[in-house]
Amino acid sequence: MSIIMKKSVPIALVFITAVIFLLEYFVLPTELKSTVTMLQNWGIILTAFTLGFGAVNMFVFHGKQVSRRAKGQWPYSLWLLIILVLFTLVGVIMGATSTQYSWLYNSSYFALSATVYSSLGFYMTSGIYRALRAKNAESALLLIVGVIVLARNAPALAAQFPILVNMDSWLSSVPTTSAQRGIMIGAALGAIALGLRTMIGRETGFLGQTTEGEKGG
Amino acid sequence: MLVAGRMFALGMLIAICVLIIVCMELAKKNLPTFRKIAGLDALPEMIGRAAEMGKPVHYTTGLGELNTNMASQLVAGLSVLSYVSEICAKLGVRVIYTVYQSQVMPIATELMKEAYTRAGKADEFDADDQVRYMSGEQFAYASAVQGVAERERPAANIMIGPFYAESMLFAETFYRIGSIQLAGTARGYQIPFFAVVCDYLLIAEEIYAAGAYVSKDAVLTGSIRGQDVGKFIALILMLVGVILTLAGSNALINVMKL
Repeated sequence: MSIIMKKSVPIALVFITAVIFLLEYFVLPTELKSTVTMLQNWGIILTAFTLGFGAVNMFVFHGKQVSRRAKGQWPYSLWLLIILVLFTLVGVIMGATSTQYSWLYNSSYFALSATVYSSLGFYMTSGIYRALRAKNAESALLLIVGVIVLARNAPALAAQFPILVNMDSWLSSVPTTSAQRGIMIGAALGAIALGLRTMIGRETGFLGQTTEGEKGG
Repeated sequence: MLVAGRMFALGMLIAICVLIIVCMELAKKNLPTFRKIAGLDALPEMIGRAAEMGKPVHYTTGLGELNTNMASQLVAGLSVLSYVSEICAKLGVRVIYTVYQSQVMPIATELMKEAYTRAGKADEFDADDQVRYMSGEQFAYASAVQGVAERERPAANIMIGPFYAESMLFAETFYRIGSIQLAGTARGYQIPFFAVVCDYLLIAEEIYAAGAYVSKDAVLTGSIRGQDVGKFIALILMLVGVILTLAGSNALINVMKL
């Protein structure tokens, strides 16, 4: 692939698109609205199209696992392929809004998804258990703050010691908010720098590393 | 012409962009010095550990999508993926990149292929095995990544991008299997989770600087300097705002509302 098609054309496309979106946000919103909506729709169509890549990747990877009888993996791969085919067939034949498809989705994925989300509580507990140990000054501070916030959220303790409510309120509105805002300002500046690097084609996460010849000085 | 209430923001955006470009130009003459980012400096050591143990490295960019406001975090994650893939290729370590958004696959595949080529090991890259589409559904993706962790036991886990509720699921699972972990996100709610579990952490702006930092490219590192100068401007604005507010003036607030 020539350097023009591989680097120059994508950089030009990104630059033009970024300028249109910036203009739509800061200047003349009504005139550019339809252009931006059209670009967003293109994005949705492209995303839907790339699902095909994902499906092919899954069939190739898990198909290999099944055919090789990969230890500890192939039964899961086989089950995944069966479910993938089942969902696709029901979705295509009956329709993605059909009762059958909805039942399949709600009774399998929906329930499993809720289960995985619920398990988060256990992961958080074990993580917090390790974190709340006073090994040094910083972790001791974290322990103290953690205990205050936990105690404030226990209704019996908060009712018995009303000062906990004030302490929690101060912690949330002063140090936590200040730190969050500091992080937000830093992140916004970082995003601007990354956006600029991407627009001028120097960001390595977008088109890969530039060669010495492409750097141009 | 200009949207009311966004003029100050536009002015600041233009000023910061000019500042970053100036810093990038200045960097061509003198390579700027900037603070060390421990997490990124530790990457070769993490991959070296995987090489010694004969285990793979796991990489993921979380729920990053190219068509949402999380795209910048995804691109930041992909920058480091390219760097990690190159080191892995050099050391003969298999890197497994798990994908949430299918549209990222062609880009990631190309970046990794390019990294393997730079390392002189293009023939060792197996896209079907190393770039794995998991699912476009959050918890299906999370479960699939946990499955990879449990079955393949990677020696190192690198997570850079936008993460949501799955952050703790990943961090704890990989901790339990003994992986050394580097995590980075600009999502404020997930930073504490990563901070308490992972060995190395990139906080917000550090993930955006990561690509430039690891590239060692003078011009790119100039943009990090520009970022830092931008922070000083923000600090000055805050101080001026506090002083003016204490003096009973709303001048700066009114300017910002323009």
